[in-house]
Amino acid sequence: MVRALSGQTVVTAQLQYEVDSPAVCERVVRLMSGALALFLSCRGIKALALCLRQLELRSVLSIKMPLFEGLGSGGEKTAVVIDLGAAYTKCGFAGETGPRFIIPSEIKHAGSPEAVRVVQYNINTEELYSILKEFVHLLYFRHLLVNPRDRRVVIVESVLCPSHFRETLSRVFFKHFEVPSVLFAPNHLMSVMTLGIQSALVMDCGYTETLVLPIYEGIPILSAWEALPMGGKAIHKELHSLLSEQCTLDTDSGPGLSLPTVISAIPEDVVEDIKVRTCFVSDLQRGMKIQEAKFNLDGSAERPAPPPDVEYPLDGRKILHIKGSIRDSVAEMLFEQDNEEKSIATLLLDTLVKCPIDTRKVLSENLVIIGGTSMLPGFLHRLLSEIRSLVEKPKYRDALATKSFRIHSPPAKPNCTAWLGGAIFGALQDILGSRSVSRDYYNQTGRIPDWCCLSTPLPDSVYEAGKTPPPLMKRAFSTEK
Amino acid sequence: MATLLQPEKVLYLVRGEKKIRVPLSQLYFCRYCSELRSLECVSHEVDSHFCPSCLENMPSAEAKLKKNRCANCFDCPCCMHTLSTRATNIPAPLPDDPTKTTMKKAYYLACGFCRWTSRDVGMADKSVASGGWQEPENPHTQRINKLIEYYQQLAQREKLERDRKKLARRRPFMPQAFSQHTIHVVEKYGLGTRLQRQRSGAPISALYGLSLKEGEDQKEITIESAQALDEVEPLPEDYYTRPVNLPEVTTLRQRLLQPDFQPAGASQLHPRHKHLLMKRSLRCRKCEHNLSKPEFNPTSIKFKIQLVAVSYIPEVRIMSIPNLRHLKESQVLLTLTNPVENITHVSLYTCEEGDPDDINSTAKVLVPSKELVLAGKDAAAEYDELAEPQGFQDDPDVVAFRKSNKIGFFIKVIPQREEGDVTVAFKLRHDFRNLAAPIRPTEEGEATSEAIWLTHHVELSLGPLAT
Repeated sequence: MVRALSGQTVVTAQLQYEVDSPAVCERVVRLMSGALALFLSCRGIKALALCLRQLELRSVLSIKMPLFEGLGSGGEKTAVVIDLGAAYTKCGFAGETGPRFIIPSEIKHAGSPEAVRVVQYNINTEELYSILKEFVHLLYFRHLLVNPRDRRVVIVESVLCPSHFRETLSRVFFKHFEVPSVLFAPNHLMSVMTLGIQSALVMDCGYTETLVLPIYEGIPILSAWEALPMGGKAIHKELHSLLSEQCTLDTDSGPGLSLPTVISAIPEDVVEDIKVRTCFVSDLQRGMKIQEAKFNLDGSAERPAPPPDVEYPLDGRKILHIKGSIRDSVAEMLFEQDNEEKSIATLLLDTLVKCPIDTRKVLSENLVIIGGTSMLPGFLHRLLSEIRSLVEKPKYRDALATKSFRIHSPPAKPNCTAWLGGAIFGALQDILGSRSVSRDYYNQTGRIPDWCCLSTPLPDSVYEAGKTPPPLMKRAFSTEK
Repeated sequence: MATLLQPEKVLYLVRGEKKIRVPLSQLYFCRYCSELRSLECVSHEVDSHFCPSCLENMPSAEAKLKKNRCANCFDCPCCMHTLSTRATNIPAPLPDDPTKTTMKKAYYLACGFCRWTSRDVGMADKSVASGGWQEPENPHTQRINKLIEYYQQLAQREKLERDRKKLARRRPFMPQAFSQHTIHVVEKYGLGTRLQRQRSGAPISALYGLSLKEGEDQKEITIESAQALDEVEPLPEDYYTRPVNLPEVTTLRQRLLQPDFQPAGASQLHPRHKHLLMKRSLRCRKCEHNLSKPEFNPTSIKFKIQLVAVSYIPEVRIMSIPNLRHLKESQVLLTLTNPVENITHVSLYTCEEGDPDDINSTAKVLVPSKELVLAGKDAAAEYDELAEPQGFQDDPDVVAFRKSNKIGFFIKVIPQREEGDVTVAFKLRHDFRNLAAPIRPTEEGEATSEAIWLTHHVELSLGPLAT
């Protein structure tokens, strides 16, 4: 129903069609986008009119509507933002302040007790395709409850994601779900967007690994990346082995049984729960003493008093006695320097050494830590103290002149910060389209442009719809007042 | 014998992007393309939203507003069960007379499963049964909205610049010496040059945006960049010696249900509104017709459009299997059911040598060579005691019995392998009358349309060999 109120430049249209074919819907929308405003009515709430005077729907939005903030300005619907992590997936809509759901990245089949992990890099394409298809189907139809065909997709992912995985994922989105466009956004860059600054040294402590990437003036310095496979997975493995060796179980058959005799292995989600609820990271002095006591080179180091034991119920019939010494020592592995003298803290300093000299001061004063593993109690404080003590060591003292380190606190929890950056970017409808890979482009070339591949043909726009977004901040207007 | 009726015993082949073998009960039939479709080769769409506990339909606009959550129902933050509202009577002073007290109703939320109540979290009892409970707000909302506005402004600028560059490229007669800087300068100080006249035919949008920026008093939105902190709070001293009270600490799953807050203590777990479910409609990818469209009403299980395969394609079922022996011929009894109301002619063919679809069969099969005729499905047949015998001449070697729209027939199976399950495959060819859309208007009283012959590849798994 289209009504034009004569005498006014406001023309209103009611958008409540139940079309049974997408082609008809597109035609309808195009008709209305000629010179109209949109008027949405919902359950008796009176219509609010957006006034447009231009040919393009998206340029001018003079009236803000706080009620309908979930809807895009103009005709386009809000994009879907997905952060597909190795352990957890965060999914939601652009422009919102937090993800709608944080779900484990796995699929449960009816027959088998073990869940299948979604993010696997070593399986063949067919299997990966069907797993990803099922997972994305669940995301859309159980959690987001929207049609895939209507909305653009922003995928926040790591720069070290293998191309094979990225290609399969984009094939799932384009071929099976027929989304209009897909944008792959690096999670380090996205987390900088949540702060309103241009440069930062971002460290992502996730499940499989910890990856450090500096961002300077909106551009990732790709040559200065540093990574260690120290993440949630390594902590779980260590914790499981410590529990099996040292802890006892109380069951119906008797108290004080050792773990391997009763159950073969504790399932990983139970280990994860133990880690989240009982473990923490000690501060620097205490941590150093624990490490010395563990390696006990002189034979004289004394371990500081362990925290109290915890009785953890398993399955409702067994009680696991977790020794207090496990609680504070399992996180030490993140900060223990291995044979190459690398730990999580040295990653940051090594990255600084690799960066150009004039960028170092800015980067060191803008540290951003994201990722689920960094949410352990006491992690940030310990990390800062470690860096500060390491910078005095001979290896770094001469290499790095800057000794001041400062850390940011983004407006979201560390495991959602990258998602939030993706959501902020996804809300910029003016440029989201030009920077994404559209379905037409994908159907023509059959590939996703990748930052590591130079042979991709450029699409017909000024900026390449590639992986690293060109800086839109500083370069925009050199004549800004 | 009920195991023979399991759907997985008889599989039909679907030729989509991939060849899939699925029982007929899980397939759809597109009568415009005249092909079988499985769930993998149709496109799914969200049809309507509803709350699973109060079964209330929600129009999609409101669902978007409420972030796909029901307005009335809550989930327990501890065990994710649905919360129920309980009422108690509390003494409260009368508004007119403060000395006298009267009993007033107060409502609180409680979980019947894990005994959690809203009073555990410190939520005050409300005086209305529904609508009084609010979810806490994210403290960072304002900052994030400001950030979005700021970036949108930058994005607008970039878009203008991009459009201008596109313009510049499209007009080849403009001097190439115009660099980006001069264009800036020209725009900043007004287009009083020849450029303006040349560009008069240009689309309105670029210029319009510019004049809007200068004419309208659009404030430049600046935000303060985030401040980095020198010090982070350390763990409190008693953390190392304090015993852990496990029920007080939230599990990871409980925390992740509230992504904005993720509280570590159970005393901060607030209940959230219940998430909605949705009904799906299916659409054929080739012809874009709907294959399945459910009713709007959440309590109704019927469909507005239901093009399922069992109502168009004859279904094969296994009735009895004798002992199967290696290289010995045995007779297997199958039934064939006709789902449509007119007479259907079915013929069976064995798969040829080198048939690309025939990869799983481990036995040779001999199917009846004559055409089988199935009577139409008559809805009133069960009530009609004086049913006339249908005048079909059946070969007793082939057809075992006939009952309204169903016949039982024999096939001969010769297992080729000594071990493993016996699987046979054959082709089923039947005529299909498409009553959907008559191409030409037929004469009055003529209801028949053209019959097309459809062929399906059917696989039966007959179980292990008899030892």
